Amino acid sequence: MIYLDSAATTLPRKEVLDCFVLAASKDYANPSSAHGFGRQAERALEEARKGLLDAFSLGKTHQALFCSGATEANNLALKGIALQYRNRGKKILVSSVEHPSVLEPAAFLAKEYGFDVVLLPVNEWGRVEPKTLEAAMDNQVILVSIMGVNNETGAVNDLRALSEIAHRYPKCYFHSDLTQAIGKVDVPYSCLDLFSYSGHKLHGIKGSGALVYKNSLRFVPVLHGGGQEFGFRSGTVSLPLCASLSLATALSLKERSVNLSFVQGLNQALVAGLDPSFVRWNSSSEGSPYVANFSLTKHKASVLVEALSREEIYVSSASACSSRTDKTSKVLLAMGKTKEDADNAIRVSFDASNTLEEVRIFVATMNRLFKEVHAR
Amino acid sequence: MNANMLMIHYGELSTKGDNRKAFIACLLHNVRVALKPFGLESKGDRDHIYVYLKENDYRPVMDRLKEVSGIQRISVVMKCGPTLEEMRSSALALLKEEGVHSFKLDVKRVNKRFPLDSYGIAVDIADYILERADFAVDLHTPDAKMQITLREDACYLSCHDELGLGGYPLGMIGKVTMLLSGGIDSPVAAYALIRRGIRVECLHFASPPYTSTAVIDKLRDILACLNNYQADIKLQILPFTKLQEAIYANVPEPYCITIMRRMMIRLAVAMAKKNHALAVATGESIGQVASQTLESIGVIEEVTNFPILRPLAVEDKLGIIEKSKRIGTYDISIRPFEDCCTIFKPRRPKTKPKLDDCLEYEKRFDYELLIQECLAGVETIYYSEGKETFPK
Repeated sequence: MIYLDSAATTLPRKEVLDCFVLAASKDYANPSSAHGFGRQAERALEEARKGLLDAFSLGKTHQALFCSGATEANNLALKGIALQYRNRGKKILVSSVEHPSVLEPAAFLAKEYGFDVVLLPVNEWGRVEPKTLEAAMDNQVILVSIMGVNNETGAVNDLRALSEIAHRYPKCYFHSDLTQAIGKVDVPYSCLDLFSYSGHKLHGIKGSGALVYKNSLRFVPVLHGGGQEFGFRSGTVSLPLCASLSLATALSLKERSVNLSFVQGLNQALVAGLDPSFVRWNSSSEGSPYVANFSLTKHKASVLVEALSREEIYVSSASACSSRTDKTSKVLLAMGKTKEDADNAIRVSFDASNTLEEVRIFVATMNRLFKEVHAR
Repeated sequence: MNANMLMIHYGELSTKGDNRKAFIACLLHNVRVALKPFGLESKGDRDHIYVYLKENDYRPVMDRLKEVSGIQRISVVMKCGPTLEEMRSSALALLKEEGVHSFKLDVKRVNKRFPLDSYGIAVDIADYILERADFAVDLHTPDAKMQITLREDACYLSCHDELGLGGYPLGMIGKVTMLLSGGIDSPVAAYALIRRGIRVECLHFASPPYTSTAVIDKLRDILACLNNYQADIKLQILPFTKLQEAIYANVPEPYCITIMRRMMIRLAVAMAKKNHALAVATGESIGQVASQTLESIGVIEEVTNFPILRPLAVEDKLGIIEKSKRIGTYDISIRPFEDCCTIFKPRRPKTKPKLDDCLEYEKRFDYELLIQECLAGVETIYYSEGKETFPK
């Protein structure tokens, strides 16, 4: 099996699974319980929280809220901030290529609460240009949400420059969905007012995630109940998930720069190897090397993904393409690609556990299939 | 509980002469198979099958029986002795159980030697009821219409009956090879055949990688729905890719679909003969798409003299959709996967193909060899009561 779909999810590390099992079997008390056993679990939870913040070097300025993953974190970031600070202004800016877990809460706020949601256009490589944000900003904006790395194309945004523009307006907070960025590219964490991510994209466990935010921020909760997680996210806290997320985060940040140069090599082998007469690149060399996206010029992406799958090579077609339902990639359309290109895109996503040999096999298989498989 | 029996009324058996006994035996077998999980006893005679509910609620049993073909109607009945005294008290007890106010009695006197005639029996029982309970007779819009059937050995009372599936008992009419694509129409066509008592075996044309393996999961779920009506279904998967690629390499684009359908029929007939099926069946509906115009059907069917059934030939699409929703296959069928008919769809398929042209194009490649290759690669899966089972 050759797994080239790490942007979808990754295999949990053994240390992370061990950490989960240990916490689940040893400290199974409810951290909210007042007795000694509960306090022991609570201490372990606070250690996990501290470990996570220290990994980002944000221990003094930020707080971490544990939740089920980036979708929940993004929902809380958008809805929680917008509703908490709605008396300051009613405008929200999000990039037009955000993940649905940002776009949908934004659309919800517009529809149900009358917020003025502005979708920021991207350039042909999928990045939000700082001057685009500059032009869209005004005193009414209370929240800007722009992702670190795009999940379909790997496009990287200049979060330092973008957050600096947003912070010229004192009422405005800057949020970033860092699901595809943490442990992969260099991120100026301290510039961000809040950011979200999932554990399972960095060899953690599915169902774990966090929203990291500046100490001074407050949220209207999405989940109401017993008041856990500072009152912003009720529900019995899962210490095993939190501890495993903290460990997975620390490990992936520690190994980041070594892994980055290795994955760059994999990416270059892919770009150099694929027969250029059959592909059109949607990712640029300035993007994250972990994600490579290209459109097929002659074939149907869904057919090639199926053909690869039959040879146990797993990649994603950016769209679950089908003649019956319209699942064109909105990200590629927003980048100004044609509908044909947006319909027939393939995403290859790497991980440090992939090998150069795997990439070579993938490239050879693709170049063979281009000739074997009937064109569209 | 007073009404402790279900009485099954047969469907169109009155048109059957000497075969009647065999039909009833077949239906009784199917009913017993369907009711096995309930552990209920049943008994059949010339006119009805009786299911003894004991202390069970009739609802789930009734619902299961409504999926068995060959049943016209199912009544919830109470049985008592064939005397006036027993009929009176039973009728009163049953009405009290129903909790109704007004009633109507409908007496059928099968035992013609009974001293009172049917009107006399009705009046006698009604008098008895009206003296003892606060009920009223209403002949036009009664809350409960009680059917009383007086036979020589017993009397049956019933206030409630529901329509069954109709048709003939499954297995009486032989079996057919059904072409199953995974779309909306073919499962409905299969259901129509099963309902008529025809056993189906399914044949699917798979064109990987142009079609996704997820289609097989889709078929699995569709067959689980159809298992409610036919307990065991055989699914055969035929690898069609090479033949399909050869068609697209050798045949002009507008004729590709026509030639493809001709090849499919050739393959289906070969499979049907191999499986001892008596016909091939398709979900085609006349005029729906280019390959289903009368001209196309004529040119396609020219490849064989084997019978081809098209249960949905003149059904409206909306009617087909409505039926597929009822049998539960609609939500499965609309899952977005491509089948072998939707890939490399020609831009302008021929709606009025000519036979001479077809014959000419088919000479361009050795399809006989490819057909043999397809047939050699067939895989067989059995589905029984919603689960995959090993070949028997």
